[in-house]
This record gives sequence, C-alpha cells and structure tokens, in this order.
Amino acid sequence: MRPIPLCCLAMLMTIAAGGAHAQAHQAKPAAANAANGDWAMPARDYAGTRFSPLAQITAVNATSLHPVWTFSTGVLAGHEGQPLVVGDTMYVVTPWPNVLYAFDLSKEGYPLRWKYRPDVSANAVGVSCCDTVNRGAFYADGKIIYNLLDGHTVAVDARTGHELWKTKIADVASGETVTMAPLVVKDRVIVGASGGEYGIYGWIKGLDLKTGTIVWTGHNIGPDADMLVRPGTFKAPYDTGADLGLHSWAGETWRIGGAPVWGWLSYDPDLDLVYYGTGNAAPYNAEQRAGDNKWTASVLARHPGDGTLVWAYQFTPHDNWDYDATGAMVLADLTVAGKSTRALVHFDKNGFAYTLDRATGKLLLAEPFVKVNWAKSIDLQSGRPVIVPEKQTGASKGTVKDICPCLEGGAAPTSPPAYSPRTRLFYTSTNNLCMDFGATRAAYLKGTMFQGAISPYSIGPGGYGGTFMAWDAATGKKVWENKEPFPNWSGALVTAGDVAFYGTLDGWFKSVDARTGKVLSKFKVGSGVVGNPMTYRGPDGKQYVAVYAGIGGDWLLLAGDVRSDDPTDVRAPADYVKDIARHTSQGGMIWIFGL
Amino acid sequence: MNLKSIRRMRAPLPLALLVLSFSACTQREGSAANPASPAAQPAVVYAAHVAAGGEPPPGATLRNPHEGDAAIARNGALLFTTMNCDGCHGADAAGAVGPNLGDQRWRYGGADSEVFMSIYYGRPKGMPAYGGVLGADGAWRLVTYLRSLTVPANLPTQSWDQT
Repeated sequence: MRPIPLCCLAMLMTIAAGGAHAQAHQAKPAAANAANGDWAMPARDYAGTRFSPLAQITAVNATSLHPVWTFSTGVLAGHEGQPLVVGDTMYVVTPWPNVLYAFDLSKEGYPLRWKYRPDVSANAVGVSCCDTVNRGAFYADGKIIYNLLDGHTVAVDARTGHELWKTKIADVASGETVTMAPLVVKDRVIVGASGGEYGIYGWIKGLDLKTGTIVWTGHNIGPDADMLVRPGTFKAPYDTGADLGLHSWAGETWRIGGAPVWGWLSYDPDLDLVYYGTGNAAPYNAEQRAGDNKWTASVLARHPGDGTLVWAYQFTPHDNWDYDATGAMVLADLTVAGKSTRALVHFDKNGFAYTLDRATGKLLLAEPFVKVNWAKSIDLQSGRPVIVPEKQTGASKGTVKDICPCLEGGAAPTSPPAYSPRTRLFYTSTNNLCMDFGATRAAYLKGTMFQGAISPYSIGPGGYGGTFMAWDAATGKKVWENKEPFPNWSGALVTAGDVAFYGTLDGWFKSVDARTGKVLSKFKVGSGVVGNPMTYRGPDGKQYVAVYAGIGGDWLLLAGDVRSDDPTDVRAPADYVKDIARHTSQGGMIWIFGL
Repeated sequence: MNLKSIRRMRAPLPLALLVLSFSACTQREGSAANPASPAAQPAVVYAAHVAAGGEPPPGATLRNPHEGDAAIARNGALLFTTMNCDGCHGADAAGAVGPNLGDQRWRYGGADSEVFMSIYYGRPKGMPAYGGVLGADGAWRLVTYLRSLTVPANLPTQSWDQT
C-alpha cells in the first residue's frame, strides 16, 4: 500500500467484497486488475479470507520456492500479523515499540523509503498479558493506520511516513493495551483493546478516518446504553429482553468483566455490518461472576458508521476456561444443507468450528475440529453448548483435570484461517493441547493481572502438538490435516494457484497443495512462526510470498526458555514441549519467497 | 554477585533509624526523601553500578527487617498470589510476562534494598508501583519470600545431548 491515489478506497471496496463475491475473482484473469497484486488490509479482503487471486505460484512449481530477501526488524518479541503491500511498497509494523517500515520493492535489495518510530510508553509492556505483539496495519485513503501498544491509534502518510494524526484510545493504567489491527470501513477506523486478563470494561471504537476523532464507543458488556443497543435495531438470535449485557452478570461484576477486542475484524458491505469476536470474561475464576456474562466470548455485529449493535451470539456462555472468541470471523457464501447461505465461519478457542448466518447470527452448524471434552455438542435449537458438568471449573472445585482444548485454543485466535472460493475449503492451524485448570479467587487491583487460575498444559491424544488442516464449513468436516510436532500458531494463506502456506513453531515455512495438504516446499526461517503469510505481485510482475519469523506471543511465555536477550530471566523448559528451544530462539525477521 | 557481601560493603550510619524514617515518610505521603536531611538521602546504594571516577555516591542501604524469617517468607508467598504478582511473574515466581524472580538474577539489582525499591516504586518497563497498596512492610515481606526461593540447579545450561 503506498502512494495509491484516490481510487484506492473504491478498489478496497472491490477487494473487500472478495469473500462475498469470490466467484467474480475466479472469472477474472489475475493480471486484469492492478489491485489484485496488492495486500492492503490484514486479511487482504473485508471478508477475511486471506485468499489471493494470484496464480503464478502453483501446486506444480511451488517446489522451487526459495527465499529472495530477508530483513531483521531489530525487535525480538512475537511477530504476529502480516506485512502489507500497496503498489511497489511493503509496510511492516513491529511489536513494541511499534516501528513502521516502508520498503521500496522497486529497487534492488528493497531499501527503506522511510521508517516511522513513534514514542510508545514502556509502561504498556507491563500490562501486556501475552507479549508485546502487534497484529498489523491497514491501508486506506493514502494512510497507513495502526495501533500502538500504549493505547494509541496513528495514521501515517503512506508516501512520506509523516504522522497525520494520533489518538489516545485506551488507558494503560487500567490494563488496556492495543495489539489488534484496525479495520477501516468508509470513513471509520474501527479499533479495540486487549486486557481480558486485567479486568477491563471491554469496548470497540469508531474513529474518523480523516481526523482520528473518536466518533463512537460501544462496550461489549454492560447496559444497553453503553453497548449502543438502540431501540428496534438489536435482535439476538437466541435471547430476548433489554440489558442482556447487564442482567447476565452477578451484581456489578460486568464493570471489570473483560470482553477485550484483540483479534480480527471483517465486514460485509451489503449488510453494512462489521463482525468481531470478544475475549474472555474476567476473572478466570467463573464463580466470581455468576451468569452467562454476555457478551464475552461472543461474536458481535455492528454498523460501522455509528456503532449500532445489530446482533450478538455467545459461543461460550459463562466462560469457565478462558475461551476467547477473538479468532477471525470469515465471511463466505456457502451452500449449507442445500441452501445458499451468507455464512460467517469461526474456529473458536473452545474447539468447535461454527458456521452462522451472518445476517442474523443464527447457528447453522457447529462441529468439533480438535478433541473437545468440556461440551458434548452445540445445540442448534438453543445455540448453547451441551456442557459436561465435571469439566466446569471454579475456585470451589480445586484443580479440574484434563480439559480439552487448553486455553490456548483448539485454534489460536492469533492464527487466522484462510478460505479459498476455488476449493471451497477453510485452512487453519490448530493446537492439540489439553489442560488442568485450578481456579483461585482473584482480587481486582487496577493495573495488575485479574486472573485467578493456574492451568498447566499437556499434549493431547496422538502425541503431536498441532496441525494445519483443511475444513469444509458447509458440512463441518475435516478434509485433510498435516500433523506438526509442536502447537501450530501461524495464520493461513491460500491462493488461486491452489497453494496454501503456513509456518510452524519450530521455524519451518511451508507451502502445501491446497487440495491434498502435500508439502511442496519448506524452509527453516530462523525463528518460530506466529505471523501470517501473505502474497503480492512485485513491481517486476512476479508473485512473491512474505511472512514474519519471530516466536513470541503466548509462546514466549509458555514454550520455556526460548529467550536469549535477557540474562536476568532464565527459565526451565516447558514440560509439555520440552525441546522447542532446541529448534528456535527469538528474533524478528521478514522473509520473502519467490520462484 | 554475592548479595551478603554487598550489604557488608557499607556500614551506614543509623541503619535502623533509616528504615524507620523511610517507611514513615513513604507510607503515607509517598513523597521523595528530603535530600537536605542526611538521614533521608537517597536510601539505596547500587553497589553493583559502575561509579564514575570510582567514587560511589553517598547513601545508605536499607535493611530488610524480616531477613531470613521463614514465617514472614510464607506470608510473603501468600501476598505474592493475592496481590497478583504471580499473574505476571508466574507461579513460584518462575517467570511469565515478567521475568523469573527465582533465578537470583536481577534486571534492577539484587540487593535487598534494590528489590525493595522495584516493588515499592515500580520499574519503567511495566512493573507497577506496589508501595501504595502494600506499604513498606508488605514490600519487605515480598523481598523475604523471594529470598527464600531455591535457585534451580544447573540454571545457565540447557543441554539436549543424549550422553
């Protein structure tokens, strides 16, 4: 994304519709539209598909993919997110301190056009539950827009690197930090905050694209007035009544009830709805917050213009297990049970893959995609899980053994899936992890962790850590899977060449046949991959694939001693992934692969 | 470095008095010590720091009033969980978001007084200032707990060789 002129917004809208009208892409030759070679928003399109119409790299020639360029970001924390490419410029946001790099792809060696180094408070580092990650930027209206860990959104001139506006959106002193990538729709910049582990009062905001002014704030929990539930506009598919976000909580517990927004946003231009998932209820000890705790661990649909809440569906009522629902909501038109459906597909931390009607939030199907034992199934009539009572947790229950999946999720929300309208399959990384869960009473102390649980993990049945799999969301069935020794934490990419891409925690970057899962190429990228591959057409007309290496996020905390940058912090290896540190250490790198 | 020897390096003037006056002035007002009063000079000696000209600045060490008290250490362990220290530093202070505090390696100095200052006033990379809710005595209890942790054997080396 870069000095693309006014037409960009219109172009983005076209790309945006890509998921919903994906067949149009298929009909068009890849080279017909210059924008086809760009990757201007986190998931490439508003539908969140991470599908590219580029088809130079195919299942036949991908065997010769090799690295053509690398760059050290100079930052060691977990490199989640993905680069953007607009025209002949690649944009990269690093983890804290959130440096923005602009690389000139038209020159040999891709030298920097500029870099932007904002002043980001180090105090935010201490209230970042899960490493100081950043999930990327958005290109719109000639601006690169992204969030700073210390609770700011910035807009930077994509051509010059000069700051255009900077808005304080979150309060670090209350445990709010910002790690998510914004979504820009028309003249709104939609942003949210992390802090489910600090007892925040979770929200999402709409900023004015031109000025950065906060236009609306909608809370995810609490009274209707705070949630922007307006008369006659809100209809939950399985609930009725006013103030659901208030009455589903004991007393005033909603005020510190969590429901952060740190994952991926998508948008349907026809319905004019933005979709996003909310994180866990706080604290982890569910006995401190009786009730369903709406709308934590839920998907919410809002109008971007004024934030009006239109519908909400809760995946995990009364979350007992830290099952955030912040994973991507991918929009695709599917034929479910013989009916053509405007669907929303979501792989939840709780181990179920959901297919919903995205106009209403009605559940169409929900099937486990990994081992699940906290619920027997999801009841399609009520939309509620059929709970297994002995897997309910709480401080009075002591340590509850062997709950699957573990709280890292059947799929990590940080690892967004991809959808190909050609194969009609979804591609995602998964974890094969279970946990014991010992809840304890947690005391709310503003600005500190409000958690109350110890939850040691173990590898699930079969002894492998995770998979990369293909899923048919129209039937709720797995089509193929590649087992990986370690939990799998990269996002997915799929292309019109029918090649899918992912990285592994032990530092392999792989291309696979999207129809069979057969590995076509692999390369050791120097550090574990927790970022998301993307693809673009370079100024030379060739297709490239880019990905970050740089283990981190939860894995900095959980994988044992993969860090080498701090002599005052030496840790024992994690007992469930004993030798991960044998294969990787920290270190942020951008890799570009070509034929 | 040997923490005990650091504490012995200086034989500061009225030690007990210092601890008292420091607690008294910080507990309520949280104000900085008055540099005019010799008893209230910056009350930590960073003995491990490099002193320009080889000339350490004048100051006095703080002494942990609960040093070596096992009962206080157990009480400190309780504080460590109830005040959410374990949320960042992990169970048994073995490290999570925040660094391992049981490896006897320290970002901001490992003398009792330095650990006390980290807890009481916080540190710039995210350690919250706990003095306001804990008071000086609570901070000392935590110091006592951290001192009671056993350093794991063979800490610096992790080997995968099957010999």
